[in-house]
Amino acid sequence: MQKQITEANLRLLIDSLLLKGQRVVGPRQSGAMVLYEPLSSASDLVFNEQPRRSAKEAFFPICEDLLEYRKNGQQIDLEDIEPSRFPETVLIGVRPCDAAAMPVLDSVFSWDYKDQFYLERRSRTIIIGLACTSADDACFCTAVGLSPGDSKGSDLMFSHLVNGGFLVESHTDKGALFLESWKDRFTEPDGSKTLPLAQPEATPFDLKKIKGWLDDHFEDPAWDSIATRCVGCGACAFVCPACHCFDIIDEGTEKSGKRRKFWDACGFSKFTNHASGHNPRDLQPKRYRNRIMHKFKYYDDKFGQNLCTGCGRCIRVCPVGIDIAGILEEIEKK
Amino acid sequence: MTQPIDISGYTRITESIRTEAKRILSDGTVSAVIGYTHVRRKGSTQPILITNPDDSEKLFFSEGCLNNLVVYLTKSKKDVPKTGKIGIVVKGCDLKAVVGLLGESQLKREDIYLIGVPCNGVLGSLINPATELNTKTIAAKCRECTDRMPVGADFVPPVELAAMPQMEATYSDKIAKLEAMTPSERWEFWKEQFSKCIKCYACRQVCAFCYCEQCVCDRNRPQMVEQSPRPSGNFSWHLVRAIHLAGRCVGCAECERVCPMDIPLNLLNRKMAMEMKELFNSEAGFEVREKGPLNSYDEHDDESFIR
Ligand code: SF4
Ligand code: SF4
Ligand code: SF4
Ligand code: SF4
Repeated sequence: MQKQITEANLRLLIDSLLLKGQRVVGPRQSGAMVLYEPLSSASDLVFNEQPRRSAKEAFFPICEDLLEYRKNGQQIDLEDIEPSRFPETVLIGVRPCDAAAMPVLDSVFSWDYKDQFYLERRSRTIIIGLACTSADDACFCTAVGLSPGDSKGSDLMFSHLVNGGFLVESHTDKGALFLESWKDRFTEPDGSKTLPLAQPEATPFDLKKIKGWLDDHFEDPAWDSIATRCVGCGACAFVCPACHCFDIIDEGTEKSGKRRKFWDACGFSKFTNHASGHNPRDLQPKRYRNRIMHKFKYYDDKFGQNLCTGCGRCIRVCPVGIDIAGILEEIEKK
Repeated sequence: MTQPIDISGYTRITESIRTEAKRILSDGTVSAVIGYTHVRRKGSTQPILITNPDDSEKLFFSEGCLNNLVVYLTKSKKDVPKTGKIGIVVKGCDLKAVVGLLGESQLKREDIYLIGVPCNGVLGSLINPATELNTKTIAAKCRECTDRMPVGADFVPPVELAAMPQMEATYSDKIAKLEAMTPSERWEFWKEQFSKCIKCYACRQVCAFCYCEQCVCDRNRPQMVEQSPRPSGNFSWHLVRAIHLAGRCVGCAECERVCPMDIPLNLLNRKMAMEMKELFNSEAGFEVREKGPLNSYDEHDDESFIR
């Protein structure tokens, strides 16, 4: 289903949602950078900059409490955090490379163990994607089978119209229902053209070929030449829309405290450190190899998709200039 | 007004680094050279370790060579081979890190071959690497740098430093503003900054002085510092960081540069450095200090804070 909305009507719509007490999250200025954060008014929305961190935190926050404990004499009281209390959320202005990561994350969080913290937030959220009209030389969605106008993962997809406003396309029942319940704000498409999509310079990778190489090059000198320079931080994994590793820790005192879940990264030296002190990934190239293997082999083996949407964020933030697109290019040539 | 910065010397520096690297690798002076190389994105760079003289052509120097490569010489970077003498390309600020590590007995002078770069400054960030170097895009540390000419290196490319335009010092300016705040305003300022921290530890991992094999903030048996990225744990982490680096930090500002959340970490570092200078007349430089200001005692040390 296609509709159209003016920019003014979109702002009215967002403000009405906020007035109703609805949580609306979208790209907004946060200090010097843009982040996906709860909006306090429609005018907070920023459309022309990719947020520094991805939209995954709407479902998979940097840190969240799982339970609380209190000790009274001999008795220990546990209190669960109730996932059903997570608020209904409208996630708007989502980049296609962020939205496309949602189905990828869904697979892992609903696989053998159903992660209620993720799934409950996910089911209470409608994702409104926005097609990109500009890209930089780190963007490579087109190289991994997506595009700046891709609707993968979006319930509704917005595209900028040449004369202002947006063309709106619904891709799921959730999207259609939203259009229906706010139908006064939308009009029928009048045939106006949409702005041309961004054109990332990247040419499509032969991901099959890349996977083929990964399949039988777990040991290869290339890993050293690629990743001896990796300093082992969490920057690439934390800004990535598809990385989803987390750690769980109990914090507090002997009397009371909380169990918390927070982002982890395979670049950290303690990531696979065993209680014995042994670490099977003892050196940085082995850790970085896991990053590439997980994204382009293991995840594909298991779920038939890859763990990278080409958003380019890890390339922009890596302290030592490690460029995942350049690495894929290198592997493809092998 | 934005003024361009003359970096025409960087081409000759590049040639000179290549020739020297080739020479020291071929004649066996060093077993490896750590320098900078190009990457796919225009203007971006990355560290590289070469062992083959023919790979010298891969080295270069540009306004995008931000990394302080000295971190690779430390014991925390176990994957970088430490056998034999290693050549390394250093800017003035990076060289001070070598000096600091020598003072802390982390390096032996005879194990390193220093290629010092006469430096007209580097960019503040590589997020958009295809940026021209000018008085606006230059790194804040370079605005107030007094160590453009590395002293005590084994080899310095014979290139005259071009004159630099006048630039205002931004750190001292910001520190003055912070000092003018009331303690509670200052508290609010840092509270907000630290609340942005996602504990990616990029700041720690690039720091030449965070070479502990196990950071106290990573300990979990028992836990010393709250590890979850929440306001209280973030605060502890940043206090640990600031205190552990006081009197050691050389101001290469790598921590601040790599922070994906743009937390102004070097402001804290600079403030600590000012305190060290004032209290102990100690500051990072090109001369090895036998003992750091915080691990030596002098009866003239200011003790007025003990009440
Ligand atoms: S791996 Fe890098 S480019 Fe790919 S989705 Fe993650 S952050 Fe984006
Ligand atoms: S690839 Fe870069 S961002 Fe990722 S862990 Fe290594 S140094 Fe950090
Ligand atoms: S902050 Fe302190 S403990 Fe942590 S790595 Fe740096 S020096 Fe070591
Ligand atoms: S680099 Fe920034 S976000 Fe990462 S741990 Fe350091 S201060 Fe926190």
